[in-house]
Amino acid sequence: MELGQMQGRLAEYTRSLYMEGILDAQFLQLQQLQDESNPDFVVEVVSLFFEDSEKLLNDIARALDQQSVDFKRVDAHVHQLKGSSASVGAQRVKDACVAFRNCCEEQNVEGCLRCLQQVKQEHYLVKNKLETLFRLEQQIVAAGGSVPMAEMTF
Amino acid sequence: MASDTDYDSDGMRDNGNGGSSEGNGRRRRHPMMTWRNNLRALVVDNGRICRIMESGLLDAYGVEVEAVGTGEAAVELIASGETFDLIVIEMFLPFMSGPETARTIREMGITSKILGIAPMYWEKDAQEFLAAGIDEFLEKPFTPELFVPFLREIDNQK
Repeated sequence: MELGQMQGRLAEYTRSLYMEGILDAQFLQLQQLQDESNPDFVVEVVSLFFEDSEKLLNDIARALDQQSVDFKRVDAHVHQLKGSSASVGAQRVKDACVAFRNCCEEQNVEGCLRCLQQVKQEHYLVKNKLETLFRLEQQIVAAGGSVPMAEMTF
Repeated sequence: MASDTDYDSDGMRDNGNGGSSEGNGRRRRHPMMTWRNNLRALVVDNGRICRIMESGLLDAYGVEVEAVGTGEAAVELIASGETFDLIVIEMFLPFMSGPETARTIREMGITSKILGIAPMYWEKDAQEFLAAGIDEFLEKPFTPELFVPFLREIDNQK
């Protein structure tokens, strides 16, 4: 595939992520922070995000598995996950966390377990999508092209 | 709200243990905005992703940033004589909470602009944080849209 086609495919893929609500404008902010002095910023932050969020999801599952569920603890973890997902632009993960908080308030274990499933689904979806995005970018760079800077107007 | 998950360490740029500050080792060559004065901000957030993004964005907009992971570290930094034009504090810090941190800082006589931030906007959280002495309560993500007006105000008043 020639470079122009690859760049076109990347642009289309990126657009689809925004259209499907998987990413929001905050991801553009993240991309804007990448520059020549920090050329891998986006990949690094996204990796840290997935590292943190996987641990949080495990902590939440463990907390919900207890005989007597500590909903304050679950809520604290959900809060963290909402904050970090919002900070990187993982919109659907963020939205799933908002729903989760309501279940924590109601102290409803079944509800929380359903919410956890939803958050996990969205989490793995955005992870797969971003892995594909980064792979497309790498292909362009490997072919000697450059990945266009994200535009702030959206 | 105490959490057994340690988010104080493993900052991206350097060591970052809970008590020390992640100084802004690299200043952006071409910030998005420039100011008449040298503006300094302190970010207090135990979530490392949030901390990285909050510091990164402030830095990108021409602000000199220090970032810490606990309220205690923030208080210690200010007590050591460091001054900041803007202080950004997360509500749900692990030990000394966001409101407790804000209250302590105000009791130290600090009149700088303090913004309280939280993952979700809940009225009772906002009321608690405002009563503790912050100037404004904001829901994350902490975006330039939210913080630039405050920077402008601070810069004009200096």
